[in-house]
Amino acid sequence: MSGITVDELVPPESRQHAVTNTRRRRSPVKQILLFALMVLIAIVMLYPFYFMVDTSLKSNDQFLHGGGHSLESWTSLSKALPWGQQMVNSAIVSAAAIVIILVVSSLAGFSFAKLQFRMSGFVLMGVVAAMLIPVQSIIIPVYVNIAHLHLLNTYVGAVVVYAALGTPFATFLMTAYYRSIPDDVVEAGIVDGLSYSQVFRRIALPLSTPALITITVLQFIQIWDDLLVGLLFLQNPSQRTITVGLGALAAGRTTDIPVLMAGSIMSAIPAILVYLVFQRFLINGLTAGIGK
Amino acid sequence: MSSATASSTSSMSQPRRGRSVIGKRRARSGIVMAAPAVILVLLVLGIPIFQALYYSMTDWNGITAHWIGPSTYLHEFQNPTFWRVLLNNALLLLAVPIAVMIPMGIAYLLNERVRGWQLFRSIYFLPTAISWVVIGMVALRFFAADGVLNHLLSAFGLGFIQTDMLSDQHQALIAVALTFIWSMVGTNTIIFLTGMATLDPSLAEAAKVDGAGAWKVLWHISLPQLKRFIQFATVLTLISAFTALFSLIFVMTGGGPGYGTTTLEFFVYQTAFSRGLFGTGAMLGIILFVIMAVVGLLQLRLLRTED
Repeated sequence: MSGITVDELVPPESRQHAVTNTRRRRSPVKQILLFALMVLIAIVMLYPFYFMVDTSLKSNDQFLHGGGHSLESWTSLSKALPWGQQMVNSAIVSAAAIVIILVVSSLAGFSFAKLQFRMSGFVLMGVVAAMLIPVQSIIIPVYVNIAHLHLLNTYVGAVVVYAALGTPFATFLMTAYYRSIPDDVVEAGIVDGLSYSQVFRRIALPLSTPALITITVLQFIQIWDDLLVGLLFLQNPSQRTITVGLGALAAGRTTDIPVLMAGSIMSAIPAILVYLVFQRFLINGLTAGIGK
Repeated sequence: MSSATASSTSSMSQPRRGRSVIGKRRARSGIVMAAPAVILVLLVLGIPIFQALYYSMTDWNGITAHWIGPSTYLHEFQNPTFWRVLLNNALLLLAVPIAVMIPMGIAYLLNERVRGWQLFRSIYFLPTAISWVVIGMVALRFFAADGVLNHLLSAFGLGFIQTDMLSDQHQALIAVALTFIWSMVGTNTIIFLTGMATLDPSLAEAAKVDGAGAWKVLWHISLPQLKRFIQFATVLTLISAFTALFSLIFVMTGGGPGYGTTTLEFFVYQTAFSRGLFGTGAMLGIILFVIMAVVGLLQLRLLRTED
């Protein structure tokens, strides 16, 4: 199989099968031990969330000297961190970058998978190879280029950088996805008198919704959680994304830990919600890289 | 990555209808549709990597640059701080096998289908959604002198090991590595769960019928089938260790104490944006790129020898 199946990697029936199979022959003691171990790991993984919530519900004094809860950190949060504005900034920047990524990667993916032009395999390899470039290797020239274009401290600069960083993997995913669609589907559209761009818009694009959702979810979490690009390209506090605002607050060695935790919770909520709703797509995107 | 290269070559060998009218139309549409992505990647990733290469041989300060030549690299190789930073990267490498093996164990247990395993899977994967900035802030409190770790230690009667890891040049990196291992659990567990779901149960059954014990089955039957997934998880973890820890270090230690937790990626940022040495920063970025490219090529090589 050359492409990857972005949809469910395992048929549900075989999973069911495994469940009944293994459960039947394990001793109850072993079961309980195993369960206890799972719970222990769950505690380790959930602990930071508990710590954030618990700490945010204390005043700084209560945090330092133990005991008691209050809402002080929540009421003073907006003074330390303009989180409302910064969440809006995060939303604007990630939405704009994601739209660009979706448009360019679906177009390119369709082209690479179905409209091979001269050297298209080579060009695809080049685009995908760009995944290997670490952000830190190009960030300095990009920073200076963006400054020369007077796009520092504008949404545009950050959006373009985020969009470019997300495009290689998205293009890889879209190409693989369109390869899994039979060529006949495209041919049939052409025979019916559609142009290639019409085939793309009316037939291929709707078929690729799952892949588009996967890219959206992956990129949303990536961009929402990013610090470096935002830190360099959006330096005005009023333009900062929430993660950068939080990072700057933390680096400023704020001693009010409860406020930092309240801010952390605010910043994490959108990404966690997206995670909870679209978990399956996130997993698909993650494992897509392994495809054989 | 590797699969993309493999499949792109296969697409090139497909029959072409280059001469027909449809073929021409198709090629033209193909170029037009691929162009936006190609141009974007070229402008923001492709050209800047060559700019970085050029500026790495200058005394660039962001505004003016004078050509010096490749000797800038030799000069940097004599800088003890540079080697200190590379040593940190090498030490972080030690965390990679741990960050791969623990999730493999967890996935193995989850695959036993304990009651509620789907809920556990979601819980283990949850930290993947939160930012390194947030993780770093909690980790900072966890490892602090009056933090949770020390409370835990004294609660278990181990109060004599009281540590202040983050203010110790050598231990701070261990704290960063532990946090890194923790945050890779979700991703790697999911990779191995996916891998284990592809295992052919009949092979293990057959081996058991032939009298093989559980360990033998695991070692000789399951693990070889998981090779591809082990490799993917390892490479992903390694790439993360070298290029994804900027925010964590920024929040947790700021690279210190001293250069105790400054890795190459953090050194790039520090050199360019705190000290204004854009040329040297660009050079460090190129060195990081070369290391990552070598990792990528090695992985391709490994995959090829297997097939």
